[in-house]
Amino acid sequence: MKATLTLGCLLLAAPLGAMAATAADCASAGGGEIKPVLAAVSALHDVLTPPQRALMERPLTRESAIQWSNLPVALVPRAGLRLGDLDPKQDAAAQKVFAAALSACGLKLLEEVRTADDFLKPLDKDSIGWDGGNYYLSVLGQPSPRTPWMLQVGGHHIAYNLVFNGQQAGATPMFFGTEPLRFEYQGVTHEPMDAQGSAMRKLAAAIAVHEKAKLSGTFTDVVKGVQMKRVPGARFPGGGTDIGFPLTYPNGTEDRGILYPALDAEQRALVRAALRSYASLPGSAISRPLISAYESDAALRDTYVGYSGATTLDARGSYVRIDGQRIWMEFVVQPAVANPAEIHYHALWRDKLADYGGEVGH
Amino acid sequence: MRGAGALLAAALLWSSPPAPAHHAPNSYLRLDFRADSVLARMMIPRSELAFAMGDAPTEAALPGYLLKHIAAATPHGAAWAVKVSSVHATNYLEQPYFTAELELLPPLGASPRNFTLTADAVTHEVRNHVVVVVVEHDAADAAPSSRAHVLGALQYPARSLVIDRRRPSPAL
Repeated sequence: MKATLTLGCLLLAAPLGAMAATAADCASAGGGEIKPVLAAVSALHDVLTPPQRALMERPLTRESAIQWSNLPVALVPRAGLRLGDLDPKQDAAAQKVFAAALSACGLKLLEEVRTADDFLKPLDKDSIGWDGGNYYLSVLGQPSPRTPWMLQVGGHHIAYNLVFNGQQAGATPMFFGTEPLRFEYQGVTHEPMDAQGSAMRKLAAAIAVHEKAKLSGTFTDVVKGVQMKRVPGARFPGGGTDIGFPLTYPNGTEDRGILYPALDAEQRALVRAALRSYASLPGSAISRPLISAYESDAALRDTYVGYSGATTLDARGSYVRIDGQRIWMEFVVQPAVANPAEIHYHALWRDKLADYGGEVGH
Repeated sequence: MRGAGALLAAALLWSSPPAPAHHAPNSYLRLDFRADSVLARMMIPRSELAFAMGDAPTEAALPGYLLKHIAAATPHGAAWAVKVSSVHATNYLEQPYFTAELELLPPLGASPRNFTLTADAVTHEVRNHVVVVVVEHDAADAAPSSRAHVLGALQYPARSLVIDRRRPSPAL
């Protein structure tokens, strides 16, 4: 925890707004390499009690894998090891797992989003679970240098689903959000999604000169997120996890935005910066092949970018999307929950081929 | 360490009461299969309906609007009659909703258990919105269950769901 906060503070020492994530910016923390991740998971296992191990270690099945959400934990309970229940030694071991698996940006995002939930905790009058301790860690499958397994980290506004040794490099589905957008906590100013917000804002403003980039309809949340499917009757509806997986996506050429090849060089660079602001969150061993696939000439020829609402991303319903052969990245502006006069962000990264590393549901 | 010091900062920033839920609300279309008709109870969140109607929705405006967006037809395309029996404001998950009761009547001789249901009152506009179609009751169930179940879900661009309950319902 302390190390993570220190890292966050160091990054925040840079002028806010100048933190657009690039692969280089993010490379300074964990590399996502299998050996250090395995070592960190093993070390964590060693300091847990048997009941805690039972909570953390779950089977790599579709049922387990889809248990992520963008809803607070009282609405959609999470499985796994609750980080708020760890003692200092266990917490330090868990932080080493995150540090090994995530890039500096991914680690900072996790820590700042949890801090945002801590910030909201005093406002949680209805006990919906705003609390930085209400984030969970699971290991799905047997950690191995060769066979598939998955590291799942999540809570209210984070869902990291990292698959190792999968059929595909697997960093998705990845959901992240923040409320508030910017806040001060213990003397430090936090803006968890500054990099992604800034990248998507620049992209939306740049592509708005193209009429075709404007998407029809209204967006009040991400389109390919979790689904609430059960019937009314309970206090809260069931579902709220990725029960719709595998998903279908728009096809054809209409209403998907403007194609990458129709953009000028500057606009193209903004597309790549925006996709990297998401794709650089896992360690580089995980993100590198994904970025390479998304930025290949063939993939970019078939990549659309679109927006809806305000390109300044300061109004409810503002929305930006990157939609390619594999890539699906959404950014949406919602009203804040704690204070409906404010706004908050949701972001989703899915891979049409490689969600869950291709290991479940296809 | 977590949580300490947040109270003061939060109190200074915000004084509004917190909303209890945290998601863009969905619609629910709850079906009651009767001997010769289907009763449909449509629950639509007011916030999302406002985007779809382009204006603040009212109880008075809703019947006419719903008749343009909720329909049923036989497998051969013959339209069913649709009547809006009632509309009233309600709350669900502490969010403002409208509940409308509609009666769906098949053409003479057509099965009331096999039809294409169309419902896009919100989804024609709101891209993330989902209409959850639920069987709430079926008079033909030999052993009616108190537990409703989901028939399907509609999200843009899907606006219609084929329903065929001519065979006995499976155990719920």
